[in-house]
Amino acid sequence: MNQANAKPATVIDAHELSKVYNGHQIPVRAVDNVHLHIEEGEFTAIVGPSGSGKSTLLHLIGGLDAPTAGSVILAGTDLTQLSENELIDFRLHNIGFVFQAYNLVPVLTARENVGFVMQLQGVPREEREARVRTLLEEVGLADKAESKPGKLSGGQQQRVAVARALASKPRIVLADEPTANLDSVSAANLLDIMARLNRDENITFLFSTHDQRVIEKARRVITLVDGRVVSDEIRQ
Amino acid sequence: MSWLNLWRNRRRTLITAASVYFAVILSIIMRSATLGVYDNMIHNFVTFSSGYMQVHLKGYWEESNIDNAMEHRASLADTFGRVAGVTAVIPRLQSFVLASGADQTKGAMAMGIIPSLERSATRFSEKLTVGSYPRSDTDRVALLGEELALRLKLKPGDTLVLIGQGYRAASAAGMFRVAGLLQLGSPELNQRMIFLPLKRAQEMFGAESLITSLALQVGNPAALEPVHQRLRQVLDTARLEVKTWKEMYPEMDQFITADSSGHIIMSGILYLMISFGLLGTLLMMTMERTHEFGILIALGLRKSKIGLMLLGESVIIALMGCAMGMLSGFGIVWWFQSNPIRLTGQLRDMYISYGIDPVIALSTRPDIFYIQAVVVLVISVVLVLAPVWKVMRLKPVEAINS
Ligand SMILES: Nc1ncnc2c1ncn2[C@@H]1O[C@H](COP(=O)(O)OP(=O)(O)O)[C@@H](O)[C@H]1O
Ligand SMILES: [Mg+2]
Repeated sequence: MNQANAKPATVIDAHELSKVYNGHQIPVRAVDNVHLHIEEGEFTAIVGPSGSGKSTLLHLIGGLDAPTAGSVILAGTDLTQLSENELIDFRLHNIGFVFQAYNLVPVLTARENVGFVMQLQGVPREEREARVRTLLEEVGLADKAESKPGKLSGGQQQRVAVARALASKPRIVLADEPTANLDSVSAANLLDIMARLNRDENITFLFSTHDQRVIEKARRVITLVDGRVVSDEIRQ
Repeated sequence: MSWLNLWRNRRRTLITAASVYFAVILSIIMRSATLGVYDNMIHNFVTFSSGYMQVHLKGYWEESNIDNAMEHRASLADTFGRVAGVTAVIPRLQSFVLASGADQTKGAMAMGIIPSLERSATRFSEKLTVGSYPRSDTDRVALLGEELALRLKLKPGDTLVLIGQGYRAASAAGMFRVAGLLQLGSPELNQRMIFLPLKRAQEMFGAESLITSLALQVGNPAALEPVHQRLRQVLDTARLEVKTWKEMYPEMDQFITADSSGHIIMSGILYLMISFGLLGTLLMMTMERTHEFGILIALGLRKSKIGLMLLGESVIIALMGCAMGMLSGFGIVWWFQSNPIRLTGQLRDMYISYGIDPVIALSTRPDIFYIQAVVVLVISVVLVLAPVWKVMRLKPVEAINS
């Protein structure tokens, strides 16, 4: 395993990735021959208008959906070669997800929502509780640990979801328009938290958005149009 | 993974448990009413005619003639009384007579009984509706079925004249004061039974110290066969025989079997309705949680674990509903057993014409309760396979987008 000071390791390597949906009449090329290379520690945004294939691309990378063509190699493992259960177990240990909304299990408290992934991983109770506490502090919700999602605001729910995505110590966190349902203050706040965790915990983030203010926080911006990568710029 | 139990949402749990609960209660009441009517019918008929089982001279049942009477010996009654399961041994002497009131004559069955013994062993005295129950075992009095009294235009205090054939061709005749009228719970018996003190009946028939049968009451009418076996072992089989009511009245047993098949179809339909209700609730519950399941699968929870979780939830909910349903069902049945519903109007007439007591009595046989509960439990476990199957086919992306 590479150390932080060595050359960054490749987290995602996608080759000629395509996803074709057979719609009613014409097939839709939701993702069209995408090549993607993401390295450890990146904080990268996938941008593009609605329907450009951002969600589909993230689903393919996360192994939630199978590509029509091409391959996704995540941390050295070819996802297209895994069985359904192998994929689920792989996600458990390597990928954290944040979706647009309603990420949390409604009947569990914030603390239980964050702890549950580690429970599946078999992390011992004390270690688990300590990490849950740290993460909830980092997202600024230490005082909401015992609240159920229904009692949290949209922004708070998304912060719990980010904490949960990090709980499993994944190789990468995939976030599909995490700020889409948030007001601008909450959105900026969430992005700041993500950026800080990216720096402090050296967690790789790949998130999609079409919000200009969110795009500004990214260090690399990949633009999709009609399922194709039309630009890929690194900023500082 | 006990924490999974926390997942159950209270409202959802209650809705499903309630549907199981009502299913169990409904099926218990239905089954209990069916068995109750049968039990009641059999009880009313056999208690005041043959007994659940009867010991008599070999061949008496085929030729129920007073000439086939036997010696009434206390030692014989004791022997049977000691057999496990037998609660009472009741000597009776019966023969066909012509009964006359003021100006009417009808054929009837005269039965000699020991009034004091019947009072304790068959609670015979409770069947009295008008008049008084004989205070001694030797009074020259008669008790009549209400219907028979009506036809003979007799009421308590009137004189009843009986004429018949006595033992060994002796002629038999007697006059009795009507002491009271009986509502026997079996329309057939109400129309033809006359009860006399055994002593007086023996006198009239010229059958001193003879009886035609020993009627046996049992503790558990639902399990006659073992008692029957034990009785046969202590019986002098060369001379005597013991028959159960099923052997004596096969047509009654056949009627119940035939009638039961109708009830089984009804139960089947009830269970089908229950199943659809439950299936609907289970599927709705799964639909509501599809998005949640999608997220969990994305995070790394195997589908089989979600399926197991649903199964566990379903079993817990079903157990809760079943336990509560059994308790409430028992309470309801218990209440109706002490407060039976007496039918009126057309339904009453219809029951009587079928020879059934027009009373809805509920049975409290223990097997009714746990069998219904087990059936509903099994149904809910089988039904949960539908949502489990749905979960196993879930595509994470579609689930998350739902
Ligand atoms: N399950 C599906 N079946 C058919 N077409 C789909 C499906 N999911 C997405 N699409 C189509 O694929 C294209 C890309 O969709 P999506 O990845 O959701 O874009 P974005 O997330 O950028 O809005 C759209 O044209 C959309 O209509
Ligand atoms: Mg999208």
